[in-house]
Amino acid sequence: MSGQPRMVEVRQNVLKHNDVLARALRKRFEDAGVFVISMVSTPGAGKTALLEHTLTQMRAGGLRVAALVGDLATENDARRLARSNAPVKQIVTGTICHLDADMVQNALDEWNLADLDVLFIENVGNLVCPSSYDLGEHLRLVLMSVTEGEDKPLKYPTIFNTADVAVITKMDLAEAVEFDLHTARENIKAVRPGMHTLELSVKSGAGMDNYFRLLDSKIEVRAECVSQSRAR
Amino acid sequence: MHELSIVLSMIDMASEEVDRHGGGRVTALHLKLGQLSGVVKEALTFSWEIACQGTALEGSQLIIEETEGRELEVVALELEAAEELVT
Repeated sequence: MSGQPRMVEVRQNVLKHNDVLARALRKRFEDAGVFVISMVSTPGAGKTALLEHTLTQMRAGGLRVAALVGDLATENDARRLARSNAPVKQIVTGTICHLDADMVQNALDEWNLADLDVLFIENVGNLVCPSSYDLGEHLRLVLMSVTEGEDKPLKYPTIFNTADVAVITKMDLAEAVEFDLHTARENIKAVRPGMHTLELSVKSGAGMDNYFRLLDSKIEVRAECVSQSRAR
Repeated sequence: MHELSIVLSMIDMASEEVDRHGGGRVTALHLKLGQLSGVVKEALTFSWEIACQGTALEGSQLIIEETEGRELEVVALELEAAEELVT
């Protein structure tokens, strides 16, 4: 017989390994009662500044917080975040442009999740690749800064589609760079109708109350769901 | 550019399938690729040939069906059985 190839059906998601692991992580987070928030953006949109402030404020409010932070190289971000006195771990990805569930799992190794209320994961600065990888988080924030222009959502629709909340940062610079907030909001709506959007400036403090209220409400809702499901 | 990691996952997946079928050589891999998957077709085909070298997929064709959703799915392999290579 000639070597006629035969068709072998596979029907498997290429990212199945990551998805299965992310699901397991999410279950582990829920069992430990920790709420997990991830942040994605371009490099320089202000993830680390926002996170440093968030960790400091939440700690002051009595929450037990920690952060994982991903970068291709250096531990600079971990050092910056450590100023908040929260436990911080840097994930150095080498040449890899995103975090995946494996990396998160490995980084969590030495931590006892039951000692935490909220865990933050700061992804590598990149609006493309992180969109393919579920990290087991409960809430994904996508940040865009006013200096990047209003059309970011139109250029990178996929990441806006996988995120839960859009945060427009560096609002203190909006006037200087002639940022049009209305257009930006319309663009977000165009790629993701109904997406929760808020704007803030870590530097001036504008919009921070709103931001913390949103995080608090998400954390509370999750905590209630978990305690209800346990009571059942 | 995370397409190379994606390609490597596809090759791992296909190689496992080849082992399950008692070895052989893959001549083509059929992939369903959604527009919203965040994965770019050109970048996949760009790295395909080199990434396949030294595996059961060496010299294989990557056949991509583009869809509208988030799909990123290995649909099927075209597999030449090992004993047929000998004859």
